[in-house]
Order: sequence, then C-alpha cells, then structure tokens
Amino acid sequence: MAETIPNSVGVSRGGFQKSFLAQAWLVLLLAVSFGSALAFVQNSLSDVIAANKLNETLTQVPELVWGADTPQYTADTSHPIQITPGTVSIKKVQKTAYYPVFRVSRGDIISGWVVKARGQGYADNIEVLIGADPHVETITGLFILEQKETPGLGNKITFPTWREQFAGKNTDTPFVVVKEKSTTKNSIDAVTGATISSRSVAGIVNQTVKDVKGRLTPQTVLSGEGP
Amino acid sequence: MSKLPTASERFIQGILPENPVYRQLLGLCPTLAVTNGLKPALTMAMAVGMVLLCANVIISLIRGLLKPHLRIVAFTLTIATFVTIVDRALSAYMYPMSKTLGPYIPLIIVNCIIICRCEVCASRQGPLAAAGDALGQSLGFGLALASIAMVRELLGTGMLLGIPILPDVWPPWVIMVLPPGAFLTFGLLLAGVNWIRAWRSNQPQRGN
Amino acid sequence: MAYLFDIFLIALGAALINNFVFYYFVGICPFIGVSRQVDMAVGMGSAVTFVMIIAVFISWTITSLVLVQGAPVSSWVAGFFMAKEQAAKIDLTILSYIVYIFSISSSVQFVEMYMRKFYPPLYKSFGVFLPLITTNCAILFACLTVMSKIVGVENPAEAWDLGRALALGIFGGVGFTIAIVIMAGIREELDLCDIPAPFKGAAITLIVGGILSMAFMGFVGVDSGIRTALM
Repeated sequence: MAETIPNSVGVSRGGFQKSFLAQAWLVLLLAVSFGSALAFVQNSLSDVIAANKLNETLTQVPELVWGADTPQYTADTSHPIQITPGTVSIKKVQKTAYYPVFRVSRGDIISGWVVKARGQGYADNIEVLIGADPHVETITGLFILEQKETPGLGNKITFPTWREQFAGKNTDTPFVVVKEKSTTKNSIDAVTGATISSRSVAGIVNQTVKDVKGRLTPQTVLSGEGP
Repeated sequence: MSKLPTASERFIQGILPENPVYRQLLGLCPTLAVTNGLKPALTMAMAVGMVLLCANVIISLIRGLLKPHLRIVAFTLTIATFVTIVDRALSAYMYPMSKTLGPYIPLIIVNCIIICRCEVCASRQGPLAAAGDALGQSLGFGLALASIAMVRELLGTGMLLGIPILPDVWPPWVIMVLPPGAFLTFGLLLAGVNWIRAWRSNQPQRGN
Repeated sequence: MAYLFDIFLIALGAALINNFVFYYFVGICPFIGVSRQVDMAVGMGSAVTFVMIIAVFISWTITSLVLVQGAPVSSWVAGFFMAKEQAAKIDLTILSYIVYIFSISSSVQFVEMYMRKFYPPLYKSFGVFLPLITTNCAILFACLTVMSKIVGVENPAEAWDLGRALALGIFGGVGFTIAIVIMAGIREELDLCDIPAPFKGAAITLIVGGILSMAFMGFVGVDSGIRTALM
C-alpha cells in the first residue's frame, strides 16, 4: 500500500466524558445527515427495487403458460390477463416445502399455473419457474431464474433448445434424464457433459409436481383472496 | 513539506503512473471477481468512480474539522453511505447488472483504493484537487479492469459485451471466465506491465 | 440430525468448495501481502478467523433483531410512535452496510486490545497488519452472505439462524487460513527459485494462486453429491 493507515485507537482516557461532544460532534453531525440522505433514498427507491424483483418473474409468466401462442393472448384486450401471486406450503417430515405460485387467468377463466421452485444443482442452488396447465397435468414451460453451473457446460440448461424438451410433456410419470437420444415417454436428453446439472433440473421439476399436484386446481383459492 | 500536486497533476498521475491496480496493487478483490465480462467490469469501475468522487469531495470539504483519531470513522461512515446509495441506485435502474455484480458492490466499502485516496489526498487538499484525484484514479481503475476483462471475455467466450467477435470455429477457453483464469490473466498482465516499465527505464534517456 | 448435516455442508462449502480466496476472490490483499512466511500466515489467518466469528455474530444479531422488516426490536420501539401494523413494516436494511463495517471495526479493536494484553509479542509482530484487517474483504463478505440469507428470503422458515451463520463465519475463516498457509509454504520455496524479473513479487503469487484455484475447483459438486447421496 502506498501509505499505512495508523491505528485509530487513541481516544484519551482522561476527560473522556467531558470532551466527548467536542470530539465527536462532527461524526454525530455526519451520522445524522447521512442517515437522512439514506432515509430519502430508501423512500424513493425501495418501491422501484421491489417492482424490479417482481417483474423479473412476471415477465416470464405468460410465455411459460402459453409458449409460442403468447402474443395473441397478450394482444387480446377484451380478456385482460391477470396474474395472481400466492404461496403453497406443504408440511413434510423434516421441513416445510414452500412454493411461490402464480395463477394466470384471462377474464376470470384460469389458463394455467406458474410455480417457482429451487433445488440443489451441481455447483449451487438452481431456481426455476415451471409452467403448468390448470390441473398440473401437463408442463407448459420451464425457465431457469438463477443458476451457478459451469459456464459452457452446465449453464446450457438455460438455453431454450434444452428447456423446451419439458414443454408439452405429461406429468403422470416422473421425468428421466438420459444421455443418448430419448425414446421412452418422459425422458429428457441431458446436456452434453453436464449430466448432473440436467438431472438436478429434472429432479426439481419432479419434486415440485409431486408436491403441488392435487393442491393446485382451478378451484384453489390463494391466500389473501376473498371468498 | 513538498508542494502538493495540483488537480490536473493528480488526474494524470492516477491513470497510469500511479494506477491503483497495476502500480499500487489496491482493490484487487473486484479486479479478479467482476472481470469475467466487459460490461460488469465497466459497471464496477463506474460505481467505484462515483463513490470515490463523492467521498473525496465531501472529505476534502470537511478536512479542517476532522480530529486525527476520529478521521477513520468519518471516512468509513462517508464511504459506507455512498456505497449504500450507489448500490440502491444500481438495483433500481440497472437490476440485472446489480444481480451479476452481487456482493461486490457493497465490498467497495473496504476497497483500499478509496480509503487510501481519502487519507492521502482528500484529507489534505481542496475539493478541486480531490475531485481530480478521484477522476484520475477511477479512470486508471477502469482501464485496469477493462484490460483484464477484455482478455478474459474474449478468450473465455469469444464475445465482447455479448457481441460475438471470434469465429465460431474457435473453442472458448472456459477456464478464463472461471476463478483460475482471473488469477492467471491478472498475473500475466501484471508481469507484462512490469516488463514494459523495466524496458522503458532501460531505454536511453529521451527527456522523460 | 438434518440440522447438523446442514451445518456440515455449510462448513465444508465455506472452507473448501466455495473457498473465500480461490472462489469468491475476497481477502486477496493479505493473501498477496502477508503470505511470505508460514508462521506469519498462520497468525494472520487465526486473527482473521477470530474477527470473522465476532463480526458475524454481531451482524447476525443486529440484522435479525433490528434491521430486517418486522424485526422484534425495531417494531417494538416503533410501536410507541405508530400503529402496530405500520410498526411491523419498518425496514432498516438500508443501514446494513454501515452497521456491518462498524461492527467489523469494533471486532478488530476488541481483538487488538485482547492481543495486546495477553499476547504482546504476537501483537508486536503483527504491527500495522492488525488494524488493516478492518479492510479485509473476507470479513465483510461473510457478513454480507449472512445478510443475504436473512433479508429478502421468500420463505421465512429458511432464514438462517445463528448456528448456520456462525458455521459460515468459523469455516470461512478456516478456509482463508488454509489458502494463505498453502500460499506461504509455496512462497517460502519460491524464495529459493530464480524468478524472471517482471514476475517477481505479486505477479508470480497471482499465477501460483491461479494454479491453486484450479486445484480447488476439484471440490466443485462435492456438497451436492453428498447431499444427493445422503438424502
């Protein structure tokens, strides 16, 4: 370092009480003015930041339910799209599984569900958005929100060409990841060189389907909604 | 005490001769962490620049009132406040980039560059010199980050700023965007800078 | 049992798999500056670990009890000035970074006073490096990681408790110590080698660090493998 920073312990012990205000008035003044500046920043920006966080998910939701047909539904102003957020909690033996869900409806008719799920990937947690039909009998879309997999290998799970393997598949049997070309009903081709990442995503989808199927139906009322 | 450098001298010094990364070896944590892409590197340099400028100017405005043993507290308070403001501003207006940079924006608080400049320049000179110093050091920091980021992103993904530059046939050196690539790239570039400096000082005097 | 398993995985992750120096690039300045001799490195690593534990303890406590939205202390105090529903919405997280950096400064002061009283020769040998621990990115990084596991977590039941936070603090410091001691051992050997002039000093340290980082990349995926195998 160009210069060393000396030890900041040096407040004289004698007469500490007497001269505290004289010594520290500047720091206290700075603290008060900076505190007000921060309160101002908090007031003006906290809503923008919260909206950013929510929009990150919301912008993906229509496409997860309708796929390639999305433009015709978003353009149809006679039946406006409503996205209602909610949560699903399932008590299990050791912990409670917690899923933020979004109900997508047009007019008042439900079009599908989007569930946010997370699980362990190869390197770290993977967070996904799973689109499903109103009875969670078919997967309509998959989107990877967060992943820290190996660049060039594991992070190919974010590519649409890999994710669209899930779309249109039935949820009655669990998804299985295979290395060669898939032949059986619910098999998914692994990303070359990233079998563990691919299996993790399939595992997350399987676990989510197992947890929410039966709880998410066209009649489900999300918490916070009226009767 | 010798005459202190003027604002423009501070500015010029900060870019190359007293470059914070290559010469002073300060602020190495973000240098290695965010340089796996050119865009995060430039965003980080801009964030550090804003914090450095604000902190330098404020500290130099109150430099006469600082008690010696409480000045570190004052520096820390000022820097932490501006970093919080910059962090919130980034989350509000550049949300995806804020997520990419993650915890490295708040780590600007302990970035040695800013505390060092406050100590060396801002607490001793007027606002104009402090501002010149801040701008020069940030420009130097940005140049250093950009140099490393360009190498890492180009060799690691074949792209710069997301635009493919290298032809498809060229296989990306994925190690470059991973942690080892950061260490190796910076180490080699640092050796290169040292070599150039040694070569220039060995050149016959040309009135430098 | 699952709790201990979780703690074990956090500890393993912080020390080896997501090593603070080789994966997250924090604590690089002392890593390059102080890693000349093994005994200095061990001392530095222990000091950083000690400070990290205290700092993580203070920051977890203040974050959970005061800063987070709906925290017990802040909503109780605000309850004197406003309605209960409004008081529960008080969000002081904007002050997080200031609180953390000052808790780190206080921890360093505390460790300094302790060392000066009980280990004077060690204190002398540290010299100016002890106050410089305040600017060590690794400690602030540990506090920020703990914060990210408390603030903004969607499922309140998944917010980290004190045990997990301390596990991160202790083993993050252990990981830093491992990194800096390995580096010191290698540098002691490098002192006997003939290094080309441009590489002397920081450059060769960084290149050796790069090779070490490559070695530590071998640990990636270990925790997910253990988790899958045992669950």
